[in-house]
Amino acid sequence: MRKSRLIQTNLSLLAFLLISFSGIAQRKITGVVEDVKTNSPLEGATITVKDSKTSTISKIGGQFTITVPDGTAILEISFVGYDSKSTTIGSNQTNIEIKLNQSENNQLSDVVVVGYGTQKKIDVTGAVDQISGKSLAERPIANVFQGLQGVSPGLNITYNGGQPGQTPTINIRGFASINDQSGSPLVVIDGISSATDDLLRLNPSDIASITVLRDAASAAIYGARAAYGVLLVTTKTGGSGSRQSISYSNYFALSKPTILPQPVTDPYIYLKVFEEATANTPWHYRSFTPSQYDWAKQRSDDPSSSPEVKPDPDDPTKWAYMGNNNWNDYFFSKTSPSQYHSISFSGSSSDAHKMPMGYLLSADYTEENGLNKLTKDDWNRYGLRGRFNFSPLPWLKVDNNLSVYQLKKDAPATNITNIYYLQPIEAAKNPDGSWANTDAGILGAQLTDGGRNQQTRFGFQDVARAVASFFNKDLQITGDVSFKRELWKYHTESLPYSLGYGPNDVRIQNATGSISETNGTINQDVVDLYANYKKTFGDHAITLLAGYNQESYEWSPITASKTQLISASVPYIGLTTGDATVNNTSQGGYYAYAIRSYFGRINYTFKDKYILEANGRYDGSSRFPSNNRWGLFPSISGAWIASKEHFMDFLKPVLSTVKFRLSYGSLGNQSVAYFGYIQTLPVSQSPYLIDGNFQTVLGSAPSLSVDPNNYTWEKVNTKNIGTDIGLLDDKILASFDYYIRNTNGMLAPSQELPAVLGTSAPQQNSADLTTKGWELSLSYRNTLTIASSPFSFNAKFILSDSKSKITKYNNALGTFSAAYREGEEIGEIWGLTNDGQFTTKDEISKLDQTEIIPWGALDIVPGWPKYKDLDGNGKIELGPSDKDSKDLSIIGNSSPRYRFGFNLDASWKGIDFSVFLQGIAKMDFYPHHYLFWGPYQQPYANVYPWNLDYYRAASESPADRANNSAAYNKAGLADANTNSYFPVLQSWLADNNYGSGLDIPQTKYLLNAAYLRIKNITLGYSLPHSVIDKFGIKRLRFFFSGENIFEFSAIKKYLDPESISDGYGWEYPYQRKYSVGLNLDL
Amino acid sequence: MKKLFILGAAICIVFASCKKDFLDRYPQTSIAPQLFFKSEQDLSLYVNGLLDLPGKDNYLADQSSDNLATTGSIEIKNIMTGSPSSKTITGGWNWSRLRNINYFLDNYDKAEVAQEVKDHYAGLARYYRAEFYFGMVKRYSDVPWYSHATQPDDSAALYSIRSPRSLVMDSVMSDLAFAAAHVRENVPIGTPNVWAVKTFYARVALYEGTFRKYHTESNLQNTAAQFLQTASDVAKDIMSSGKFQIYNTGHPNQDYAALFNSQDLTSNSEVILVNAYDASKPGGGGNAANAFGDYEQSPARDLVQTYLMKDGTRFSAVAGYDKFTYVQEFQNRDPRLSQTFAYPGWVRLPATTPFVPYFNKNFTGYFQLKGYINTTDNIVNNSTDFPVYRYAEVLLTYAEALAELGQIAQSDLDISVNLLRARAGIPGLDLAFANSNPDPVLMTKYPNVSGTYGGVILELRRERRVEFAMEGFRYDDLMRWDAGKLLENIPQGMYFPALGKYDMTGDGVPDIILIDKGSSIPPEDQKEKNSLGKTLVYYKAGNFGDPVTIYLSNGTSGAIVTEVTPRSFIDPKDYYRPIPYTQTVLNPNLKQMFGWE
Repeated sequence: MRKSRLIQTNLSLLAFLLISFSGIAQRKITGVVEDVKTNSPLEGATITVKDSKTSTISKIGGQFTITVPDGTAILEISFVGYDSKSTTIGSNQTNIEIKLNQSENNQLSDVVVVGYGTQKKIDVTGAVDQISGKSLAERPIANVFQGLQGVSPGLNITYNGGQPGQTPTINIRGFASINDQSGSPLVVIDGISSATDDLLRLNPSDIASITVLRDAASAAIYGARAAYGVLLVTTKTGGSGSRQSISYSNYFALSKPTILPQPVTDPYIYLKVFEEATANTPWHYRSFTPSQYDWAKQRSDDPSSSPEVKPDPDDPTKWAYMGNNNWNDYFFSKTSPSQYHSISFSGSSSDAHKMPMGYLLSADYTEENGLNKLTKDDWNRYGLRGRFNFSPLPWLKVDNNLSVYQLKKDAPATNITNIYYLQPIEAAKNPDGSWANTDAGILGAQLTDGGRNQQTRFGFQDVARAVASFFNKDLQITGDVSFKRELWKYHTESLPYSLGYGPNDVRIQNATGSISETNGTINQDVVDLYANYKKTFGDHAITLLAGYNQESYEWSPITASKTQLISASVPYIGLTTGDATVNNTSQGGYYAYAIRSYFGRINYTFKDKYILEANGRYDGSSRFPSNNRWGLFPSISGAWIASKEHFMDFLKPVLSTVKFRLSYGSLGNQSVAYFGYIQTLPVSQSPYLIDGNFQTVLGSAPSLSVDPNNYTWEKVNTKNIGTDIGLLDDKILASFDYYIRNTNGMLAPSQELPAVLGTSAPQQNSADLTTKGWELSLSYRNTLTIASSPFSFNAKFILSDSKSKITKYNNALGTFSAAYREGEEIGEIWGLTNDGQFTTKDEISKLDQTEIIPWGALDIVPGWPKYKDLDGNGKIELGPSDKDSKDLSIIGNSSPRYRFGFNLDASWKGIDFSVFLQGIAKMDFYPHHYLFWGPYQQPYANVYPWNLDYYRAASESPADRANNSAAYNKAGLADANTNSYFPVLQSWLADNNYGSGLDIPQTKYLLNAAYLRIKNITLGYSLPHSVIDKFGIKRLRFFFSGENIFEFSAIKKYLDPESISDGYGWEYPYQRKYSVGLNLDL
Repeated sequence: MKKLFILGAAICIVFASCKKDFLDRYPQTSIAPQLFFKSEQDLSLYVNGLLDLPGKDNYLADQSSDNLATTGSIEIKNIMTGSPSSKTITGGWNWSRLRNINYFLDNYDKAEVAQEVKDHYAGLARYYRAEFYFGMVKRYSDVPWYSHATQPDDSAALYSIRSPRSLVMDSVMSDLAFAAAHVRENVPIGTPNVWAVKTFYARVALYEGTFRKYHTESNLQNTAAQFLQTASDVAKDIMSSGKFQIYNTGHPNQDYAALFNSQDLTSNSEVILVNAYDASKPGGGGNAANAFGDYEQSPARDLVQTYLMKDGTRFSAVAGYDKFTYVQEFQNRDPRLSQTFAYPGWVRLPATTPFVPYFNKNFTGYFQLKGYINTTDNIVNNSTDFPVYRYAEVLLTYAEALAELGQIAQSDLDISVNLLRARAGIPGLDLAFANSNPDPVLMTKYPNVSGTYGGVILELRRERRVEFAMEGFRYDDLMRWDAGKLLENIPQGMYFPALGKYDMTGDGVPDIILIDKGSSIPPEDQKEKNSLGKTLVYYKAGNFGDPVTIYLSNGTSGAIVTEVTPRSFIDPKDYYRPIPYTQTVLNPNLKQMFGWE
């Protein structure tokens, strides 16, 4: 905004100077209208001479000619999607170049990219949102996904941890289908359907816009793959207008983990708590010798009093360990560097007026580093995009868009999340420098020496598109061909590493080692041919679209593995002596699909107020048997722009825009197994040596996954009602959508069958689901004058919610053991109602809780959790079904509700500032496994500080206290604690491997998983033109930015609020990132 | 118009290039059934996929028996100490393997190969089916019998009742008879041949014969003899073939152990079926990681006491045997004892001095050697083969079946059990002596053994427990002998007559010291050293539950106590398992038996 105003001022100044030398004759002015940023010509802009009836429209190449009266004149230029502008013509000026400024995102005059075309936002009848590329480019993100979280209502991005280069789960409008829970939308890049992970390969600076099509009507043109919405990504085009420009951006970032579970590190507390945890069970495994206690006490009282490693007094051939380590500090870096560089050249030939040629060449290098302190763990992207557009014939435009990219992930073969198992009393290294024979030492050794896991993805995609225009551009025929080839290479090593078992006893582990190489190729070919026709007859405007699309896709991996490395220092498959295995089942195995479709759209507009649109697509997919392969997916939608009615005129000063939208569509979902209908005998490798080798065998009956005679698309019907309201000259814009999405005929087991069948029951298109939800988007934009400089700001708030319910499922008994039940709300948590803790044996004898004892073997003692006997039969029982739920009831829901995002941008005098918040307002989480329960899970990992608030019936005697370390007594662990948060300390009480006891959800430990995250704060400063102009610089901006800066959350005292998507929080840590960078335009 | 013509031509080209089968795509990693079951190779590929061999984990399988103390979560232990029901005992009711087997039996006949070929592979599949059902019958007794892969719409089959044990076992025996008659002798190494099939055939017959003889709840006692007869006949058949021999090179202190620590058993004369391991093959290694038990595998003193003396006499006949210390217990015993357990003086690599057994709560003090490979070389450890069927079993099956039938003679002992004793270097079993002097200790263990041949039956049970210690036989044996009550005895550990110093390595020099629970362990530099200059290892001893490491039965003396939770084995209920509750809801025709709910 700021920059364009400066230019405008300059132009006015120029015009004023020209006026001074004006002549008097009436004359013709020729000119060109262009986008100020991209320099691309704008066709169809209206140029009017002020206070006259003379006007014209810019033609191909943005050119126009207009007659103006003598002397100075003022031209008014307007174009949809751009800010209108007036400019003064000097009296002897004959030529002018007009630069238009693209309107800010989300304004109703915008042009929105829709399927196979564009529409003015005001004319859109479906639930559509568009995100400008600019908002992505100015944040220090390594890939497009990172910039999409929380920016568009109903678009949900969920990250499973913070490992660099991972593909998050992307979803539109919540729970999609029981077979495809994530419900990934179709991603279309430059008109070509793509894989979700193709977003990773794009340079964020290359993005012009991203459109989110949420409802069936707007997505229907993409048919069977668009059931759960569409993401249309458009990259920048080549320049025009004989102007060359160069842009360079970069950032340098340092990151550290956001929130990690921080275990107790005191060795004495650790020993004693674990001893107690297992002593209270039949399996008194974690018992420690008196000398271990002595040692732990010494080191608890004074860590320097004794080394953490020494020869085992009971067996001097071995090392003994007694550390007090926080492994998070040892294994995770707090200053992990990342960087990004992007440069682009764009422009056009000077002969732009007749047969313009434009080009764009951009390149980027991205390095995103993981948090692994001991070893390399990063993700890189090298991208190159070349785009060339020209008109070989006046009626024909050709655009070739080639992108070449390489993505490389280089991580240790061992997963660093093993850190969650490490215990504080371990050590990582022995005094002789060898890795310790502890889990920590093993992890350290494996990370540094155990081999690498490298994944390289090299590919290119070329989209060649020709647009032919006829009948004065009323008819446009577009043909495009896209081919994408990718070569994926996975190199996995398992290398020997050494552990020091004892003094002078260093042993090699995994001595044989192995190397595995997978080469996989992707072939994707797409052909599109479609025609757009538009015509206006008086008040009636009609646009038509008809087209054809076909696509074929093949993924073909081949893996070769070999053992027995000649030497760990040459980890190459050719340098091994062991047996080789070859297969094509790894990395998803071979698959292929093909799609062929015919599609069309009719859009009718009456008086620019009433809009009616119908879409249809007839799709055939290779994933279904030939008799059930084709499906027709229609939609219809309408809009009424009420604010254009005269009776609304009196409200105009306040209510500038009012629009209502209504749509209905029926789409298919083809997101099922590639070869699901073909029953086959699976091939595998025998786990036994037969004649000395592992042979390929069969040995399994075909699974009855589907019944091929009754197998077809699931149907997704969406009703959508929406409104767009603009207030105060559209400074405030509100957009609201409500929808009901019925997913019918989902593949589901026909019914639960007895286990004697020996396999799961075949699936049929028999289950139904309803999702109801709404989305709200509010934005406010204004420019004020502060200290005589414009202060512009832009605030946007988005909020969305959805709820899904199973409306039909073949489970007459409503059993919990079946995957779903009729009437079930997705995410509902069935659990017990907590009723405090048992305090006396008498109480225990009155309520029979034996059925929920983990492993059937723990003792119910005072301090055990007590539950409400809802059915009053004196027994706590888990009912088998919702019809006979006994003591279970619905205690919460794990689905995220009320997702929101808030974005504030402001700029003043070269300073720009933005804040971006994102969160979930309501969500329940029942914790499972180690990271919350510590020793209650199993006695093999950590104690967390919160676990120490466990039930202790009595205080220790003064004599026992005297034996304890000071820290232990100080923590209150020697005192009675009968009013505790956690129950009596019994290991396995929350054992997730068994699924009873505390692993059964219950009210007391149901946590509130709502959170608000300060996702980004950016502060930028652009140098004033007075400084940079003399260097020929158009723009130079420096910025400082922080990602994931802070979070408000009830569960952040345990773990990162986003990490619970797996149910455990067992994730690669999320990254807090601080960066500095610059944007330079020449 | 020219422009439109060009365009039209382009469209035609696009459409012309579209092949008719454009939308057909096929998998490349699995096979359509109609293309399969044609050749012998097809049959072999499928049947090899059914291969399912026990491996080195079997060295841990005795945790459910009286051979071991364990802190592991063992189903039978949990049943005896908890309040089990069909809602808590949910494992075992898995039928997918049967589906895979029956699918083959429904299809193999389509192959265009000779009848002999078909019969061989069908025989193997029926052998696997017998194995599957044998497992089901052991667990549930009456189970529904399915001879074809069940279809989802076949509700008669899916909702059927349990078939009686007698019917199921008759079908199992008929499968095994067919397999024994048709499976070939020459098969790929590592897969069962006719002799492996017969070994299993004899095992099942012996199991069912003795089970029916000693259990009264199914009222099948009068059918026991026919199974015992089959067992002895089939065993005799294997013995007469002359294909197998007890592995005996005349080194009684090594030959037995060689069966469990060899890198290659494929050519061992005693091994009828091998599960080979080779760590140099990708994914080919395997070991019994916990065999040298740290916490879940602690051998019971009762087992140690079962071994005979080296001269063939009974250890329990030695005066004061039940107050012997570790070093005393291991003197002059059946050499198999020292090949099964860590013995005083044994050196655990990489150490160079003898191993001193260590103690912790729940430890008995004994350590298992069988299944433990004394090496620091992981390749050697992970490449040790496992004997799936040993000829020794055939010999013991033969002798036991004849003894139970009351038909055994000294000559039968000489061609069977006495070959095992000869390998161990101890005198043979004397029929007359055994019958006239039944071991009083064994008589109290197995009170239901009686009759003329009671004495030899008891001695054969001893032999079986010793020869197959820690190989996963003991639990099944106790079940078929109706001796589940023995599981109520909580396994004990080593005996210590008093607090004080003890030699654990057999050199007469003390290695450990047991001190009173009230005293404290001195700091490292004040600990006493022995005459070899080694610091003694200190342990506090006391009663169960005291803050000590070693629990002794009398507090300051006695055998090590590993647990005190009382165990109750309910007869006959605990010989069986309930069908999981959810399955009885899905199919109400499945009724629980033997008092399970």
